[in-house]
Amino acid sequence: MNSPSISTGNILVVDDDADIRELIMEQLQREAYSVRTASSVQETREQLSIMPAHVVVLDLNLPDGDGLMLCRELRSEGFADAIIMVTARDSAIDRVLGLELGADDYLTKPFEPRELTARIRNLFRRMSVVDNNRPRNVRYAIFGPWRLDLLQRRLVTIDDRLVMLSSSEFRLLNRFIEAPKQVLSREMLLPERAATVAFDRSIDLQVSRLRQKLASEPEGDELIVTVRSEGYLFAADVAFE
Amino acid sequence: MMRLWARLRSYYASLSGRMTLLMAIGIAGASITSLLVAEHVRLKAVEELQYEQVVASSQDMANRFAKAPAETERLLRDHSLYGVRLALPNSVKVNANHKLVKIFEDSFEPSAHPLIRKVASDCFGGMFNPVNRVAGLGAAPEVECWDVRFVDQNGVPRNIMIDKPVLRFPRSATLEPIYLIILIIASALLSFFLARLTTVPLRRLTSAARSFSLSHDPEPIDETGPAEVRTALETFNVMQQRVRDGFRERTQMLAAIAHDLQTPMTRLRLRIERVQDTELRERLIADLAAMQVLVRDGLELARSSETREPWSTVDLNSLITSLVEDAYEMGSPVTLVKSCEVIARIKPDALSRCLNNLIENAVKYGSAAEVSCRISGKLVEIAIRDHGPGFPEGRIDEMMEPFVRGETSRSRETGGTGIGLAIVKSQASTFGAILQLSNHPEGGGLATLQFPFLRSE
Repeated sequence: MNSPSISTGNILVVDDDADIRELIMEQLQREAYSVRTASSVQETREQLSIMPAHVVVLDLNLPDGDGLMLCRELRSEGFADAIIMVTARDSAIDRVLGLELGADDYLTKPFEPRELTARIRNLFRRMSVVDNNRPRNVRYAIFGPWRLDLLQRRLVTIDDRLVMLSSSEFRLLNRFIEAPKQVLSREMLLPERAATVAFDRSIDLQVSRLRQKLASEPEGDELIVTVRSEGYLFAADVAFE
Repeated sequence: MMRLWARLRSYYASLSGRMTLLMAIGIAGASITSLLVAEHVRLKAVEELQYEQVVASSQDMANRFAKAPAETERLLRDHSLYGVRLALPNSVKVNANHKLVKIFEDSFEPSAHPLIRKVASDCFGGMFNPVNRVAGLGAAPEVECWDVRFVDQNGVPRNIMIDKPVLRFPRSATLEPIYLIILIIASALLSFFLARLTTVPLRRLTSAARSFSLSHDPEPIDETGPAEVRTALETFNVMQQRVRDGFRERTQMLAAIAHDLQTPMTRLRLRIERVQDTELRERLIADLAAMQVLVRDGLELARSSETREPWSTVDLNSLITSLVEDAYEMGSPVTLVKSCEVIARIKPDALSRCLNNLIENAVKYGSAAEVSCRISGKLVEIAIRDHGPGFPEGRIDEMMEPFVRGETSRSRETGGTGIGLAIVKSQASTFGAILQLSNHPEGGGLATLQFPFLRSE
């Protein structure tokens, strides 16, 4: 089912519960990953000093410290590989905080085992794609009069007014800011529907809705330019913060 | 007229109305009574002054008789003394006022056998017609006469008559209707403002209690004002804090239980993967999923009254359209009937969760959801309508309590935990919104969220 080339990663599972450590390890080994475990902050550091891991599955409640703090410390020490937080805490704030402190993904207990493996597979794929444009773990993309909150997936004006985005609008805008000032065809904007997008006008509808939302600030109406018979162009410089 | 009457009645029903009325009656009554008393005392003083003059005249005569009896007799016979004459023997006499008698008798030695009586009828024995004899006066000055007898120092009995014009004071103006009306109005106004002043802290307390009933986390009231009022406000704030602590305790307990359940459930979920029997495994996973929903909803309910999310200024139109679009994309039959261009200060995640839950409910029990938004007065109102059987009439308030379902058997099938509406209500209260459930006149359930907004565009 999985191509073996992806599934040769090196994973460190950090959880204070021995059973969960073991069960997650079993689950991931079934996917042919090489898995080690740690039960505390100290053990995590020891394991990482012995051998680096591509992905750290990090529980937030550890006997000798907080996973959030560990995550921040690892990032400030220059740890560049993926961290996926797994925790029983569940609220939007925890999630945002986790991602802000440098986690790449966030999963709440109890989770579907398949969900965990899917997310890990995703992380491996994301790490293999070299992304020159965008630094990792940024919170905001800034363009024209707008800031795009990449974690909470909403637009913010200069005077802190929020404009909410639907998932498809966010995906679209995210795609635009990855390639500013380039003509993007409809297929490139909506790769998951590349086969039908030529006949499907829903992309135009989505773009026009997004334009409307962006136009609620002065100078926001000129951000997305239609290039006839080719596609669309995002006409602004994008900065990250 | 009827409306004025109704307003007066409702004002009288209020504390300040009653206080106003009671105080106005009290103040006006007390002032009128004191005016009447003052008037009475004044008249008494005038009367006494008159008596003293009579006594002074008698004494004067007694002195004259003692020093120069012959001269005095001559003057009397010649009518040369003002206000004193020889007594008329035939006049009708009555007893004088006992007060006058007392001061009169006290002014003489007992050996003088003083006697004073009032001349009851005609002072002048018909010799003098006051109307004809007094010039220039519309009304004749009234004269009172006293028949005075005593034995002078020389042992000669004397009988003289003393005339005194009656001191007529103009009737007091203080009891004129106009002054009375001014007095009553002034006391009514004073009472009105006094009553308002004393009920201000009560009204502050009332509004604080009202906002406490709407939100779990309201501002404490300012403890200002007179000492008694401050004490009451302090007590209220302490109570508010206690209640909030109680809530927090309950929340923490629920959250702790739900949280601690998550670890064994995670283990269980991971262990189920080892079950070889596919059918058994699927069933176990389904059972666990049901438990998981319960724990998740319980945790959400416990946390829903917490207000950790910051307030933000939000474009409501974008929020509603995004929600509807996302739900539609996930395959839910949701339509946006009417949006509104409104900027509001709210907690966007809380509002999104509320609307998502209401939409989910409408789809689950009413098969489709229609979302609309409108401004009504100072509030914006977001309505979610379905075309299902609606809410059971008479149990609508109950529906917002945790673990109460519309129709038990059906909801079990649909997999609801019965906490959804309680979560919505509690989440809504974190940003001052009110959830209302009703049945649409044309059928179907109607859930509305109302909250204040900043401006509409």
